[in-house]
Amino acid sequence: MLALVSSCSLFEADSYDAPDVTLVGSVVDVLTGKPVLTDQGSEGIRVRLTELSWGDNVEHNPDFYCMPDGTFQNTKLFKGNYHITVDGPFVPLLRRDPDGKELADESIVMNLETSHQVKFEVQPFLHVEWVGEPTVQNGKITAKVKVTRGVSPEDFKAKVEPMGNYNDDFLNMTDIQFFVSYSSSVGYRARDERWSSRLDYSGNSFEDLFGQTITIESNGEIPAGRTVFVRAAARINYNTPVGSGTRRWNYNEAKEILVN
Amino acid sequence: MNMKRLLFILAIAASGSLNSCVDMDITPKNIVTDNELLNTPAGMDIYMSRMYSLMPFEDFKYTAQWGFESNGWLNSTGIEGTGEAVNREGLSASFTGERTSYWSKGFVLIRDANHLIETLPAFRENFSEELYNHYLGEAYYVRAMTFYTMAKRFGGIPLVTKVIQYPSSEDEMEVPRASEEETWDQILADFDQAIELLMPQEIKEGYANKYVALAFKSEAMLYAGSVAKYNQDVSGRLTGIGRKTGVRVIGFDEASWRTASVRYFTEAYQAARTIMQDGKYSLYKKRWIAGDTEAQYQNMVEMFSDLSSPENIYVKEYIFPTATHSFDAYNMPFSFRSPLSAGTCPTLDFVELFDGFDRYPDGSIRVTNGDQNASGEYLMFDSPLDFFKDAEPRLRAYVIFPFDQFRNKQIEVRGGVYTGDAPIKPFFSSYAYNNADTRYQNLSIYNGSSKSLYLSPREGGSQELVDYNGQQMTAAGQEGPFFDNGEATVTGLYLRKWLQTNPSAELGEGKSAQPFILMRYADVLLNAAEAAIELELVGASSPDGSSLLQVATDAINAIRERAGAVMLQGTLTGDVNGRNIVRKERRKELAFEHKSKWDIRRWRVAHYEGRDGFWGESRDKNKFSNNENFRFRGLYPFFSTKTGKYFFDARFQWIASKTFGYRPLDYYFEVPSGEVAKSSVIDQQPNR
Repeated sequence: MLALVSSCSLFEADSYDAPDVTLVGSVVDVLTGKPVLTDQGSEGIRVRLTELSWGDNVEHNPDFYCMPDGTFQNTKLFKGNYHITVDGPFVPLLRRDPDGKELADESIVMNLETSHQVKFEVQPFLHVEWVGEPTVQNGKITAKVKVTRGVSPEDFKAKVEPMGNYNDDFLNMTDIQFFVSYSSSVGYRARDERWSSRLDYSGNSFEDLFGQTITIESNGEIPAGRTVFVRAAARINYNTPVGSGTRRWNYNEAKEILVN
Repeated sequence: MNMKRLLFILAIAASGSLNSCVDMDITPKNIVTDNELLNTPAGMDIYMSRMYSLMPFEDFKYTAQWGFESNGWLNSTGIEGTGEAVNREGLSASFTGERTSYWSKGFVLIRDANHLIETLPAFRENFSEELYNHYLGEAYYVRAMTFYTMAKRFGGIPLVTKVIQYPSSEDEMEVPRASEEETWDQILADFDQAIELLMPQEIKEGYANKYVALAFKSEAMLYAGSVAKYNQDVSGRLTGIGRKTGVRVIGFDEASWRTASVRYFTEAYQAARTIMQDGKYSLYKKRWIAGDTEAQYQNMVEMFSDLSSPENIYVKEYIFPTATHSFDAYNMPFSFRSPLSAGTCPTLDFVELFDGFDRYPDGSIRVTNGDQNASGEYLMFDSPLDFFKDAEPRLRAYVIFPFDQFRNKQIEVRGGVYTGDAPIKPFFSSYAYNNADTRYQNLSIYNGSSKSLYLSPREGGSQELVDYNGQQMTAAGQEGPFFDNGEATVTGLYLRKWLQTNPSAELGEGKSAQPFILMRYADVLLNAAEAAIELELVGASSPDGSSLLQVATDAINAIRERAGAVMLQGTLTGDVNGRNIVRKERRKELAFEHKSKWDIRRWRVAHYEGRDGFWGESRDKNKFSNNENFRFRGLYPFFSTKTGKYFFDARFQWIASKTFGYRPLDYYFEVPSGEVAKSSVIDQQPNR
């Protein structure tokens, strides 16, 4: 009965504008300006947008994730006023104390209307770099990498300790992963189990190895005549965002290698 | 409340069209009110039957991936990343959430319980004191069960303990999530109320009594105690504060988790002990004979369908043809399919929990004469069943071994036929996790020029054939496995537990009426044993003066004796080793009963860092997982034509190749986002 009364609106076209706002962003190291490389998928850098004009009780947009090179892009956003934040292997931008009170928020809040570029300057936990070129022998890849801290222990502690439950173990470097895959998007999610390998470090045993050249070798025997992609990654004993239990890796750039 | 609105609208409509001067104050005859419902036992029975029909029971109508959808479609057990079983379907995936979240449905039931608690006192004189109390007790029991069902999914929940009138102010109607500790305390209080009020005997089959409430209380408190304690072991402590309310909606406060944990374990222990001492229940041993493994096996097959079992504390019954389920239709061996089959394929890892097998030095089951399954030569058996000749009777009651009998039929499970010379070296050079995706089809002995391995992609005409003794032998057995058809076993094993054993019973969807045992005396014994060890671990004193370790030891031995398992040597110790013996016994005894997924959760052993404890006992997680996912293994019998004997290959599950994952995040399910968005007080999990 009620529908009949207001039925005129049924014949009107839905006139709401299609989402056409584009947001392009990058996550870079505040010290060097270089991009923070990451994994493609939910263990990489998470981008979370929240449209603030809905009021206090707003749910964030569906999360999406950075590309391996530390950039992201979303071309189907509605116009609006957004809180934009990223979570990844770097000092959290949004920090709260144990009672949930906000300590700092280095996220970006802005109006999105057309096409926008944003840049997040963060303090990555670690830097992972190649040393020389990986070599191949008998289907095994040997690579040399160097891991250094991206944020000083003092700085890390100053920012993370107020968030509560602080433990000096957070800063320990726990493992280096060596991912091998046929796919160019090689990483945690796209690795080949047969050949990927890792080195584990207990406690603070890596402390003296920062800046040293670490040699890492792939597992098994990669069949000859194929091109594979390799990447190394390292992480500390700290999960981001806090309470998620996910410890994210810092990566180096993927290299293409012909196995012959 | 909707009725009121409707009446209101109708009243306006009526007043607009009619010019009546008579007030409409007569209750319509087609509305049943409290006056009719709550003043006689017959009316109360109607009220109760609605509540019980809404109860969140995990039985033949519950599928972990989907939640409480109250239908038995594709129902199977243990496939949700517990390691007990896998199957070919997408729903064989880790228990990280439910498609239908148990949130709004829970509050419907809570409202019914609250309504009874508030309204029944007005009808007190209609019932005897005892009956009146019992009804109230049932309401508290229902509320406790509903809160418990929600708490183990979400942590802190809105504790709605009164009927909320509608319409009313927002303050009245919006109830924020309480802290996780307050939530478990409320559950404890509601169970205690129920226990005090309920009679020892239920009014009707399937309804609650005092012991039902005690048994579920002990289970709930074991969950609470474990969560309080083992959240601490998760990287960064698993806890968090809700954004909107500042309430600790998941996990426990640094200052209170220890005392809370001990409090809950104490309650779990006492509740279980009360049942044990009152002596109303006992382990089912009707067919059990000491030293007779055949009788012990038969005993454990029959106990799950015998409604007169003294072990049954709480049972969901079905009646053909009106209230039925379809468990048989989806879980029978391949040749009994009706219309589907093999919905629950037990894994080798599960079998490995049981006694009666030769082992490698690392504890895994021996299939070769080397020191691990990639070395030495395969052990040969005249029949696959010889491999299982010393297996624990309980395992045989739960799992159909290859070539064992089921419904008057030999279950012919054969992975393939090997025509090469004996002795036979292992098919693969590595059985490690990172090699799991290399399968039998990829081997050169199968697809190379000198073929000696025969496998079958499908049944019937698609079977590969091998000449043997002048006869044609199919490569795969009649019951599979078939590498392109996951409708036969994917692990080499089939489920026996719960399945209809009577060979003349008709199979099909909606034709099964076996009862589902939701709570049995063995659960209670295991609850007592685990709570006892946990109390001993922190040096807490026994709440009733009993010897904690002796109670735990006796409980485990009683279960082992009935199962035909090896008895404990001496008394359990109050350390992690003793705790793991109890956990492992629980993993074995309660398998395929929708319980293990909760145990794995509350022990916090599904995520990578905690995964060594996944099996209850301690196993090296790197043998079945990488730092992300984990897999389970199958056990595949092969026939050797040169020797006329069978041998077994133990490898990661071959056909559906299921991998499972679990993150610490998943220990608390996501609150339905719609509920968070529409309310100004309902918090999402802070770590999401």
